[in-house]
Amino acid sequence: MLQQPAQHPAREGETYQALTEARRALVEEGKLLAKIYNEPAVFEMEKDNIFTKTWIFLAHETELPDPGDYVVRRIVGDSFIVSRDEHGEIHVLFNMCRHRGMQLCRVDSGNTSHFRCPYHGWTYRNTGKLNGAPFQKEAYGKDGLDKEEWAMTPAPAVGVYKGMIFASMNADVPPIEEYIGGMGWYLDFYLNKTPAGSEVIGAPQRWVLDADWKLAAENFFGDGYHTQSAHMSTIKAGIMRVKKAAYFKDGVQYKVGPHGGMFIPFKPGSFFNYPQDVVDGMRENLGADQFKVLEEDSILPLNATVFPNLSFLHSAMAVEPEGRSIPYLTIRLWQPLGPGKIEVWSWGVVEADAPEEFKEEAKRAYLTTFGASGTFEQDDAENWRSVTRVAAGEMADHHYLNYQMGLDHVEPIPDEEWPGPGTAYARNFADFAQQRFWRTYFEYLLGQ
Amino acid sequence: MLETSAETYWEVYEFLMREAELLDGHHEREWVELCTDDVVYRMPVRETRERGAGEGFNGQMYYFDETRGSLELRVRRLETEYAWAEDPPSRTRHFVTNIRVSSADAEEELAVRSNLLLYRSQGTELHQDLISAERRDVLRRSEEGLRLARREILLDHSVLTTHNLSIFL
Ligand code: FES
Ligand SMILES: [Fe+2]
Repeated sequence: MLQQPAQHPAREGETYQALTEARRALVEEGKLLAKIYNEPAVFEMEKDNIFTKTWIFLAHETELPDPGDYVVRRIVGDSFIVSRDEHGEIHVLFNMCRHRGMQLCRVDSGNTSHFRCPYHGWTYRNTGKLNGAPFQKEAYGKDGLDKEEWAMTPAPAVGVYKGMIFASMNADVPPIEEYIGGMGWYLDFYLNKTPAGSEVIGAPQRWVLDADWKLAAENFFGDGYHTQSAHMSTIKAGIMRVKKAAYFKDGVQYKVGPHGGMFIPFKPGSFFNYPQDVVDGMRENLGADQFKVLEEDSILPLNATVFPNLSFLHSAMAVEPEGRSIPYLTIRLWQPLGPGKIEVWSWGVVEADAPEEFKEEAKRAYLTTFGASGTFEQDDAENWRSVTRVAAGEMADHHYLNYQMGLDHVEPIPDEEWPGPGTAYARNFADFAQQRFWRTYFEYLLGQ
Repeated sequence: MLETSAETYWEVYEFLMREAELLDGHHEREWVELCTDDVVYRMPVRETRERGAGEGFNGQMYYFDETRGSLELRVRRLETEYAWAEDPPSRTRHFVTNIRVSSADAEEELAVRSNLLLYRSQGTELHQDLISAERRDVLRRSEEGLRLARREILLDHSVLTTHNLSIFL
């Protein structure tokens, strides 16, 4: 397991062969091998080649408003403490004592200037620096321990992008700004559309689901086609206030580097039902080209995935019967727990400078439609769980899934007509975005 | 410990049993009608905190934060033919114990605490889910009998071990 960052596993063996053929089928024929889901050998490769190579989201800065605040987060199997020190600096520290390896922090969040190890009592500052060890002179001689050498181990790479704290197990990962790249233009709508930016509301919801992380990631990457069936109940019940299920056909799908997402249309001039203060904030803070998309094209980014497992959702739904649609935001992390198993982390997010009354409404619009009890997310969970279950058998070794929608009859929007980076298509019933997810996936898994 | 008469206790007991029966029998419409128009139905997110730092309910984010209207919408959804998460339906069993009744602030109201163990299985899967919680309710007297005016569901989990909450607790 002591692998250099740039290496890939031996290019041999059954799994490697099968995946090479699976990539060919995707790229040349628009077909995905079902065995990609819920397969232990594939999951091992994902850990080595994806989750230890790319940037992984850990926390939003607004979860740590005060000096001393910390949260405990993971990158697959590795626990990290994300802390804010007394100078306001953020640190991401491997949650394992340097003495005998005790897990230093065993709670989800708190506020402290020091972490004290329960086992033998070494203490560390919230910067990671070793503060002291009990009976230091008696134990380690008159010079004691080298405080710098025996500091907590920081994550190999840390990056903050518009309030989002990422870490990577790969010290050679490109800087976070470079990794996000053109996706930043789209992420502004989620993170940075008003002067104060977005803030997390309270703590994340967390729940465990027997579903492969890729099903969730690719769905948020650009499955514009599932809403008319998977979420039909919400249209019928009046939660999603649209007349026809085909509504989702129109909009824009995009892919940009390893990331992607889609836009949905809204009633011209309604600004997605945002309160006037927020609309004014958007006019001030967004770029002219970004605001024009809202003002003139009347479309707005709905869902998006930052490769590999960080997704965003921006939607507007009714909370009360016959009520108006209320816009809201959520960020989620599809944290793999093993093959075919995830822990979902779901944060409610809101524009920090929005009126308090609106924040409260937006929170309820989020948690009644998304999150564990969400009237949308409940049905997504059912679909992803079922795919994961049937993919476990032997038939999936030779069972191919269709990724050909729109490929032969939809053309990209000409660059000069689309203000955002990457490639966009004026159609959400299409597989361009999800194809990008899978091509990126195979690139990481198998190398170029 | 009990601050009420045996008669009142019995009334509360019957209410909670009837409610559990309706939910386990998938009579969500009848269940929601046991809620007052101004019902507050909440299940806060719980975090693991150090012993001295409280119980981990931060009071800001919830799994449920419902009004009568939003509960109605959830029920309306279940009544469509497209509520996939509950088709086939969950098999649930609400085990309600440790019922404690005291008088609430308002005269016509009772403060009721109970423990809930919710068993859930679904489809042909071999595993079952359990959710454990304390419920803190306010029941209000009305002409039709007791009604649920407030419910706070305090989870014994910081990570939910069930795939979704397409059920009521
Ligand atoms: S393991 Fe932490 S002090 Fe010994
Ligand atoms: Fe969905």
